[in-house]
Amino acid sequence: MSQSMNGERRPAKSDRLKKIFDKFFNIETLRGVSTVAVFCGLWQLVVYYEVPYLMYLPRPLDVAKKAISSAAAADYWVDWVLSLLRIFIGFIAAQVVGIPLGLAMGISRTFKEFTFPIFEILRPIPPIAWIPIAILFWPTRELSIYFLVFIGAFYIQVINVIQGVSNISLNQKLAAYSLGAKPKDIFWRILLPGSLPSIVTGMTVGMGVAWNVLIAAEMIAAQGGLGRTTWESYTNHNIPFIVVGMVSIGLAGSLCSVLLRWLGNRAMPWTKKF
Amino acid sequence: MTSSASTGGTHISRDFGEVRFTGVSKTYEKEGEEKLTALEGLDLLLQKRKTTVLMGPTGCGKSVLINLIAGYEQPTTGTVYMDGEPVREPGSDRLVVFQESALFPWMTVNSNVAFGCQVKGMAEAEMKEKTDHILNVVGLAEFRDKYPSQLSGGMQRRAELARALINEPKIMLMDEPFRGLDAMTRQLMQEFYVQLYEKEGHTNLFVTHEIDEGIFLADQLVIMTFQPGKIKEEIEIDLPRPREFKVMATPRFMELRAHALDLLFEEASKALAAGRKSAFDLVGALASSKDSCQVPM
Repeated sequence: MSQSMNGERRPAKSDRLKKIFDKFFNIETLRGVSTVAVFCGLWQLVVYYEVPYLMYLPRPLDVAKKAISSAAAADYWVDWVLSLLRIFIGFIAAQVVGIPLGLAMGISRTFKEFTFPIFEILRPIPPIAWIPIAILFWPTRELSIYFLVFIGAFYIQVINVIQGVSNISLNQKLAAYSLGAKPKDIFWRILLPGSLPSIVTGMTVGMGVAWNVLIAAEMIAAQGGLGRTTWESYTNHNIPFIVVGMVSIGLAGSLCSVLLRWLGNRAMPWTKKF
Repeated sequence: MTSSASTGGTHISRDFGEVRFTGVSKTYEKEGEEKLTALEGLDLLLQKRKTTVLMGPTGCGKSVLINLIAGYEQPTTGTVYMDGEPVREPGSDRLVVFQESALFPWMTVNSNVAFGCQVKGMAEAEMKEKTDHILNVVGLAEFRDKYPSQLSGGMQRRAELARALINEPKIMLMDEPFRGLDAMTRQLMQEFYVQLYEKEGHTNLFVTHEIDEGIFLADQLVIMTFQPGKIKEEIEIDLPRPREFKVMATPRFMELRAHALDLLFEEASKALAAGRKSAFDLVGALASSKDSCQVPM
């Protein structure tokens, strides 16, 4: 099917364009788009025929209009920036603290014996349950939200790093020792790259939880941000924007996931499927 | 620094690589468990530049023996000597090729092979020269930038050999290194290894469960007893070198094979009587290999 589209007239010049075109307009995309279209169609019908319980839903078209007008307004983008910044700070802090801690716990049994019990007592507490104490504890609302995002990503990362270190095969470590590696070589050349796949998994999962926590925290405690604005649209009865907010949160979350996956693939060329 | 300093491939003049076990025992004690004697009163000489093949049922302490030479474990009593020096810790003069690949999956073939030189702080140019040479020897020069997961099983094994050989070890400790390869690749690897070894001239300790592989590779075949691991018999394999697969069809090979099989059957049966499933597997494997002695190629 692709050959026929490649015009017989000027094949060489349009080659790159054609590639891009093929990437976005193909049967796979069409399948996905058709499902979205059917979903929107059903949504429109549900609202139109005032199906019980669902009649307060905004109409798809109103949502689309709202989305366009929002995108043109600066306030909307301020919310994006606020939310992304909170995620970024809390998430990075979780990695900066969590990865070394996990490595230390994975490498040193003594250290793990000291730290793991307290860790396991605190870990099952859902991050959202930290909201009241975080607000009390930290001097500003922003700081408490960074902290909550941190909690969301932190425990998962520590657990993953510990797992990653223990997954490295004994034979690989023995081989490295025999080949003359010193402890610092074992750390930098074996333990760190060997646990990298687990670290990336920890980041991906942690990012998901971080967004959950962020939105809950924003709805309760923040000024601005995608979660807050979505909640305010509810209190102001601005129903189309509730949906715009939800979709925006979803987009922002997947943007972060895509970015992480890209970074992960860059950092671990050996895990590529060949 | 010049090419003469690097691994030239011919070390016939090597005058080292002798490993001696004197009165070596290894016991494991865990609280609340019965004491396990893996090796008992072991006296064994691995002659320099010779290939010793170890065979015996699972649980005869073959892997423990390898760990002792490699320096991963210390004997409970007795001493293991490498060229007269007691073995105290791991070192690149005694390198192990494990059953499962121990290549570092996060490094390219080139980095894997250069690992030993790198951690010893060798100069870049010398390292490159050595790596180039050894990759050519094992036929992986074209694959140097690939990752281990991109290689076939046989190529992975060769990369692992190269990673060890670049350090010019005195002894190579091969712990069933060709297990899990398909039959054809396995035979090719065996022949490849024999040629390589005959050229490089290091000492070899080779553990295997395959009688044909064992005899084909060995100068000395050591049969071990089932728990505790002792030496049952040392058989000198006087087949001519250089060896090719054709040797497997000779009467002498058959003779040696029949003798070794008898001994192995005895030990495997003991292990079976002790209720070891793995030993049962071994008896089965031996029985089936008895009537599968064909000459490939």
